Amino acid sequence: MSPDPRRRVVALFFALSLALVACSTPGASSPAPASPGPGSGAASPSAVAPPIPSAATFPVTLTDDEGTTVELAAEPQRIVSLTPATTEILFEIGAGDRVVATDDGSDYPAAAVDLPDVASFSAVDVEQVVSLDPDLVVAGGLGFTPADAITQLRSLDIPVLVVYAPSVDGVYKDIELLGTATGTSDAALEVTADMRAEIDAISNAVAESGTPPRVFYEIGYDDTTGAIYAPADDSFVAEMVTLAGGEAITTGDPNTYEIALEKLIERDPEVIVLGVNPFYEPTPEAVAARAGWSVMTALVNDDVRTVNDIEINRPGPRLPVGLRNLAETIRPDVTLPPAP
Amino acid sequence: MTHVTASTLAPDLRPGGVAAWVRGRPVVVAVVAIVIMVISVVLGVGLGSVQIGPTETVGVILWRTLGLRAGLDWAPATEAIIWDLRLPRVLTSMVIGAGLAVAGATFQGLLRNPLADPYVLGTASGAALGAAVAVLIPIQIAFLQFGLLHGLAFAGALLAAYVVFRLGGSGGPGGLTRLLLTGYAVGSVLAALLTMAMYVSGADLRQIFSFLLGGLAGASWPRLAIAAPLIVGACTLMILRSPVLDGLLLGDQAAGHLGIDVRRERGILLALASLATAAGVAISGLIGFVGLVVPHFVRLVVGPAARRVLPISAILGAALLTAADLVARLVGDVPVGVVMALLGAPFFLFLLHRTRSSYEL
Repeated sequence: MSPDPRRRVVALFFALSLALVACSTPGASSPAPASPGPGSGAASPSAVAPPIPSAATFPVTLTDDEGTTVELAAEPQRIVSLTPATTEILFEIGAGDRVVATDDGSDYPAAAVDLPDVASFSAVDVEQVVSLDPDLVVAGGLGFTPADAITQLRSLDIPVLVVYAPSVDGVYKDIELLGTATGTSDAALEVTADMRAEIDAISNAVAESGTPPRVFYEIGYDDTTGAIYAPADDSFVAEMVTLAGGEAITTGDPNTYEIALEKLIERDPEVIVLGVNPFYEPTPEAVAARAGWSVMTALVNDDVRTVNDIEINRPGPRLPVGLRNLAETIRPDVTLPPAP
Repeated sequence: MTHVTASTLAPDLRPGGVAAWVRGRPVVVAVVAIVIMVISVVLGVGLGSVQIGPTETVGVILWRTLGLRAGLDWAPATEAIIWDLRLPRVLTSMVIGAGLAVAGATFQGLLRNPLADPYVLGTASGAALGAAVAVLIPIQIAFLQFGLLHGLAFAGALLAAYVVFRLGGSGGPGGLTRLLLTGYAVGSVLAALLTMAMYVSGADLRQIFSFLLGGLAGASWPRLAIAAPLIVGACTLMILRSPVLDGLLLGDQAAGHLGIDVRRERGILLALASLATAAGVAISGLIGFVGLVVPHFVRLVVGPAARRVLPISAILGAALLTAADLVARLVGDVPVGVVMALLGAPFFLFLLHRTRSSYEL
């Protein structure tokens, strides 16, 4: 049916791995959840106080990232998280002990790994989810969680929050949304305040010194076809590169994840960052051996470096860690403010 | 070409043996097919990724259908799994399996082409393009659990079939080859547009891809309630017209001598088969194999008469898709078309190999 199905599958794979983070046209954007009140942030001691859900916050009506209105009658006690990022968020804001199942990609924190997996990369086991009798399911947007599964769960009166963050601000918003949804608003606001402070500190430090180098963040490379997968315009990775003090080389289109070698040579990256994750493990040596790549400044100066892609690409609470690594990779000359 | 003697054949396929006996008794074959279907349905409702005992399963069904509680009790989740997840899925797979098998048998007979399947008139590409366009349009419409995707897939399939039918000379006298080639050409254009749509779809590619793979994960009561009347109605009308299909199989001229209005009847049958296909595709995506192979399978057993092939294909198609979907679910939601082809094709090859008489449509 198609001229070359194999190419399509490769493209699919990268689209899938980007599904959570790449989004140029967020739909109806949800309003920031109502601030639940006093005492968040500044004055509180650094030791995280156990979240005290106030009885007044439930029932609550929320608007998820797809613009769907979701009502929660009481504080959720049995939560199913269907994406790795939302699992991390739920544990970070202190709702982890109420998570009863996750997807098979949820690999952090350690406590989440042992929970039963009810979803894979391609499908949600709706039967298993229903049998766990959850009072909140957190799903991924942009087709990360299949739309049919969301429809089925909602038709059985199981509340489903669809969450996806197109930007770093979107991550803050999602963390606060999940805070409101799980009755842990105070902890969620504390998490986002800390994240904001560190991300701002890092991006200010790199912004104040020198001009940003042209950075190519490689998302993937197909050895057989030579296809190069790069950040789309306005994508999450592109934003992270910018925050880390680089000038991101993108595909030139918000919906394209492939860049031609000619175009990449023309843009002439000064630093090439290889995003390493369990599905893609490139090495600087392999890049140096690629035909036609040796002319780029990054290869001439030997500025090809690897970085943990998960912490940078996963829209969760570890973004400051990812940004710090990325900034150190892109701007080794700059001294960053110490980690808290 | 290997020389095949009677002694190398399984005894039951020798002339005068069980095979001939079966051929003369299509009712027996139908009963066997129904038994297979019932077993598939019972297993389909009884088994899943969550273990539910047979007593509870029967209890839930009796409670929801007849209001009998029978002193049993179960968790609400159990009831939801049996009644809202498994049962609509099993019934949907039956309806779609039957629809695709009957549509395939009709297309094969009408076009006198053994490689015809329900998608031969460009229905598949039309539906897929419709679904892709729906995914690319950033509007969310939901009506009775039907989204833009289902609507545009249905419309795309019917539109493609209509365009092929009109451009292909409406299947008039001697126009079969023309119709087939038109279907191929229109399908190619639509497939090219689909590839283009997939190329620009970015992160939405995943949704389009899962439509192309096909599957029954989206089955639900409201969706079944809309699709079932269309598919069952179209299949019934096709089965009622199977004597006409037998006449058309003799060739246009012979059919004309039998008093059949070839042009009109062909148009009606093509429309019914396209309708059944489009309604199925809109819900389950592109499911292959069942529509192509089940009719051949039935012909190998009961002979080529459409009066027998169509109804038995319906039953066997329902049984095959239900059984394949069960395996697909138990393995972990692999595409149902993959399961059918992997398990069904070798069995079909075996039957083809063992059949002595030369096989014609």
